[in-house]
Amino acid sequence: MKVLTIAEKELREYLLKPGSISWGVVFPLVFTLAFAVRFGDVDHLAPGLLTISVLFGTTSFVSSSVIFERRLRTFERLLVAPVSYLEIVLAKVLTGSIFGLFVGLVSLLFLRFFMVYPIWSIPFLAVYLVLSAVAFSALGLYVSLVVENPINAMTWLNLIRLPMMFTSGAIVSLLLFPRWFIAVGLLTPMTYAVDGLRFAMLHYYDVVNPLYALLVLVLLAMVFVYLSVTRIERLY
Amino acid sequence: MAEAVVANNLVKRYGDFEAVKGISFRVKRGEAFALLGPNGAGKTTTVRMLTTLTSITSGEAYVNGFNVRTERLAVRRSIGLVPDVSNLYDELTVRENLLFMAKLYDAPRERVDELIREFELPADKKFGKLSTGFKRRATIAAALVHEPEVLFLDEPTNGLDVHSARAVRSLIRALNRRGMTVFITTHNMVEAETIPQRIAIMKAGRIVAEGKRSELAKLVGRKTVVRLSVEPMSSSLLRALERYNPSFEEGKLVFEVDNLDGFLEELCSLKVELGFRVTSLCTEIPGIEDVFVELTKCPCRGCPL
Ligand SMILES: Nc1ncnc2c1ncn2[C@@H]1O[C@H](COP(=O)(O)OP(=O)(O)OP(=O)(O)O)[C@@H](O)[C@H]1O
Ligand SMILES: [Mg+2]
Repeated sequence: MKVLTIAEKELREYLLKPGSISWGVVFPLVFTLAFAVRFGDVDHLAPGLLTISVLFGTTSFVSSSVIFERRLRTFERLLVAPVSYLEIVLAKVLTGSIFGLFVGLVSLLFLRFFMVYPIWSIPFLAVYLVLSAVAFSALGLYVSLVVENPINAMTWLNLIRLPMMFTSGAIVSLLLFPRWFIAVGLLTPMTYAVDGLRFAMLHYYDVVNPLYALLVLVLLAMVFVYLSVTRIERLY
Repeated sequence: MAEAVVANNLVKRYGDFEAVKGISFRVKRGEAFALLGPNGAGKTTTVRMLTTLTSITSGEAYVNGFNVRTERLAVRRSIGLVPDVSNLYDELTVRENLLFMAKLYDAPRERVDELIREFELPADKKFGKLSTGFKRRATIAAALVHEPEVLFLDEPTNGLDVHSARAVRSLIRALNRRGMTVFITTHNMVEAETIPQRIAIMKAGRIVAEGKRSELAKLVGRKTVVRLSVEPMSSSLLRALERYNPSFEEGKLVFEVDNLDGFLEELCSLKVELGFRVTSLCTEIPGIEDVFVELTKCPCRGCPL
């Protein structure tokens, strides 16, 4: 398996690219800090803010890597090498996840500073964080491969990411909305990450049972990995 | 299988547009082969099909005996590709780039140092900071880490200055001399004259001619031009050469001959017989450029359009 070889190259190459830094690090951290400072008691907001950090960290990294690789045609270097498309996709998902988890951990450190209660379960937190990072990376990868012109990937991504911040209950609980809005929430991939992390950190959840959240996150990751592989086959 | 590359009736369609319209050719092991054609002829598309980078609409292709459609990984393992743009990773140094390629292809690390030495590459410079010429060299080196049996080069000297282009061409010739099969595409005449043993001329998705340089030259029926000046010029000489239809240009006799060897033989015996001195003699053998222009202009003979 060449997944690790490619992943190592990716991390070396894209860690410092402006696209990953601005949307992937600066935005989530500033966002987290702004909320923390504004509301002081962030315990109930923490899972949502953490999810937002991971979402932006993973998707920004993956899409900036795919944008550059498609535009500079280095992507074809991987396609013509003796590796399967699945290995390429897994490598991108892995690097996106590592980057997203890193952003998530920094944001968690900030949040801990403002939080009153301890985290309910560190192992559960780790599980939901990793699953969310993997699912979001795969989602980001698929979107970056679907757009015809790679330059537009960031715009499309924001068109998905920004509404998800609200439809997932990350900031305002879905229970405070009319009932039909919960349906929208259940159709939002991010909802499962938010409720999973809420369960791990605070030992309660809004709409999704933690077991379902876990299964759906795994399923989302597999579906977007599969879609990305077929998309590469179609694209070239 | 004795052939390194086989294409049987290859077709590539993009939507309604047929970029490659059923081409066939064979490249022998160890041979240097060129696809020569104007912009948009379908050269890059052909290379992309043969290197598994794009799907084949219809037809069959084999590279090193592997079916390009069904044995993609085996094909990829046995080929090197230098695409039309140099595409190593800007943010990595030359050495890091080559090491990555070595890992990707399970090639030994030592191979990287070997290539850096052989190609005289600045190992610790970032690829993005290199000049166009060195980017090209590094990209070629990267295609060689796993010592592929067939090397595909898409317009290897496009955009290079004369010195860099020469350096790249001599690198390619050296690889071919060492036994590597070389498949290049080009619209550059110098390249077509100096690298390949065999050329296929491509136009609008079709191959309009194929063969060795000399065979292609015959195809367009251009004669060899001979410019001759002698001392003293005599009317008996002119009479003897009359059937070659000489004309005068800048004080020189100009002939167009089919058979250069026969002509020179005759000239030598006349020289003995008439006792003149040859003060200058030059010949212009029709080049690939003449053939190319003849076959790719439109409308033209040999062109199916
Ligand atoms: N992805 C694509 N989608 C649609 N049409 C394409 C695509 N790639 C190439 N073409 C068209 O196919 C034709 C052949 O293109 P190709 O790049 O193979 O030509 P070429 O011989 O390499 O030309 P050049 O000398 O300019 O590199 C062109 O008309 C081009 O516009
Ligand atoms: Mg081309």
